[in-house]
Amino acid sequence: MNNVLKFKNKKNTVAAQDEIYNFAYLDENTKRMIRRALIKALCIPGYQVPFSSREMPMPYGWGTGGVQVTSSCLTTDDVIKVIDQGADDTTNAVSIRNFFKKTANIKTTEKTSQASIIQTRHRIPEEKLKEKQILVYQVPIPEPLAFLEPRYQETKKMHALSEYGIMHVKLYEDITKNGHIETAYAYPVKTNDRYIMDPSPIPKFDNPKMNNNPAIQLFGAGREQRIYAIPPYTEVTSLDFEDYPFDPSKAPHKCSICGSNESFLDEIITDDDGNRSFICSDTNYCNQRMENN
Amino acid sequence: MQPILSVHNLNKYYGNQVGCKNMNLTLYPGEVVGVVGESGSGKTTFINSISGNLIPDSGKILIETGNETIDFLEISESLKRLLIRTELAFVHQNPRDGLRLDVSAGGNISERLMSIGQRNYGNIRQTIFKWLDKVEIDKSRADDFPRTFSGGMLQRLQIAKNLVTSPKIIFMDEPTGGLDVSVQAKILDLLRKLVRELNLSVVIVSHDLAVIRLLADKIIVMKNGEAVESGLCDQVLDDPQHSYTQLLVSSVLQV
Repeated sequence: MNNVLKFKNKKNTVAAQDEIYNFAYLDENTKRMIRRALIKALCIPGYQVPFSSREMPMPYGWGTGGVQVTSSCLTTDDVIKVIDQGADDTTNAVSIRNFFKKTANIKTTEKTSQASIIQTRHRIPEEKLKEKQILVYQVPIPEPLAFLEPRYQETKKMHALSEYGIMHVKLYEDITKNGHIETAYAYPVKTNDRYIMDPSPIPKFDNPKMNNNPAIQLFGAGREQRIYAIPPYTEVTSLDFEDYPFDPSKAPHKCSICGSNESFLDEIITDDDGNRSFICSDTNYCNQRMENN
Repeated sequence: MQPILSVHNLNKYYGNQVGCKNMNLTLYPGEVVGVVGESGSGKTTFINSISGNLIPDSGKILIETGNETIDFLEISESLKRLLIRTELAFVHQNPRDGLRLDVSAGGNISERLMSIGQRNYGNIRQTIFKWLDKVEIDKSRADDFPRTFSGGMLQRLQIAKNLVTSPKIIFMDEPTGGLDVSVQAKILDLLRKLVRELNLSVVIVSHDLAVIRLLADKIIVMKNGEAVESGLCDQVLDDPQHSYTQLLVSSVLQV
């Protein structure tokens, strides 16, 4: 209460950062706890480290894990970019960006190349990431075996002993039912030739970008209270069969705004007659191509 | 010849309650040992203790893999689980306990193959068809879910799932329990055929003396957690010495 009064009295002089909050919202002890989990996660690529996730001022499923990881990594010099399904301007992205603007008084950007921390929901930016950049994923269900083996104790054992036969059963079922591996997002990967990991629900089109990426990749699952990570330049392979190799497919179209052939596309229904068009899911990539032309 | 599995002085207690006491067993390659006894006599505790499902309180379990003798209770958890999914197999009384019901029949059979590193879909498919054929399930059912199978088919599927990696020792807990008599006969027939064909070593638990007489070479009779009599199957059943075995044999309905 005192803080609130102090804040009100200082109304005219206060900087943009909301002083009733600690820097980047979380208290320092919590950040230290999360940083420890992050360091452990980086040391054991793909291993899920439990952490005591905090209540955040947003509902579970809206990126509470990602926000906690980002908060713990932020310094005053950071420039942050937030994307939701590749877009900078959707509700989730805008609200999280404003959250950090308010609680950390931090610079924000939409340009991938200028960001030092990128928090993402379900995409990896099209533009290649560089060293010293951090990509923070929001993760709904961190356990790749969860849908196959509901007992958490058992999945823990399976990870510890690399008992991953069941993961291929899922792919087997896919091929049997559909003639090809139908899993198109949250496509399981093996990290550093050891742990099988759920890459969060990114399209499998993005899977190859995780491999040998120069940036640090951090994954936060708030509700499930797990953190995992891929350090820079780590081998990440997508699971497959010898006779059904992994295929990072995308819609066979061009972006109808920028004309890109390479980027991942969103399908948009344009009228009631079933007409549709395809546009880049990465809005920043699309805008930059338009500016350059 | 060396026994493939030998159990010495195995004890398992549930608190003060005896699960099984002072149990011994020797299983030679290609041999079938039956464990009989009434409900509550410790049969299931015994088979669970020697197959890695339960941890016994004391005793020794030695498994001969061909290259070395493994002390099953002393090895690391990872080696134990590797053994369980390659060299050992467990057929549950209720096939639903041993199968994944939301995975197709073929997927169930393929799990063990893929857990030992097979990564070629075409080859895996061929193995699945071969095993469905062996357990007399039509190939066309390979992609159906187990929940659409009858009780007898489920049990045959469970057997295929377990035998696909050619395990050395198979444990069966009442494999024909809960099936009607004609289906029981079919499963027994199949088991007898597979035992001969593949030279399987089996420990089978049953309360049904007819099942044991049909399949087993040797027999252990259990009562109150202890073995009261053991020996060659025909010998024990034709000339029972212990009063409990006599009671058991005489209580079988003669049709």
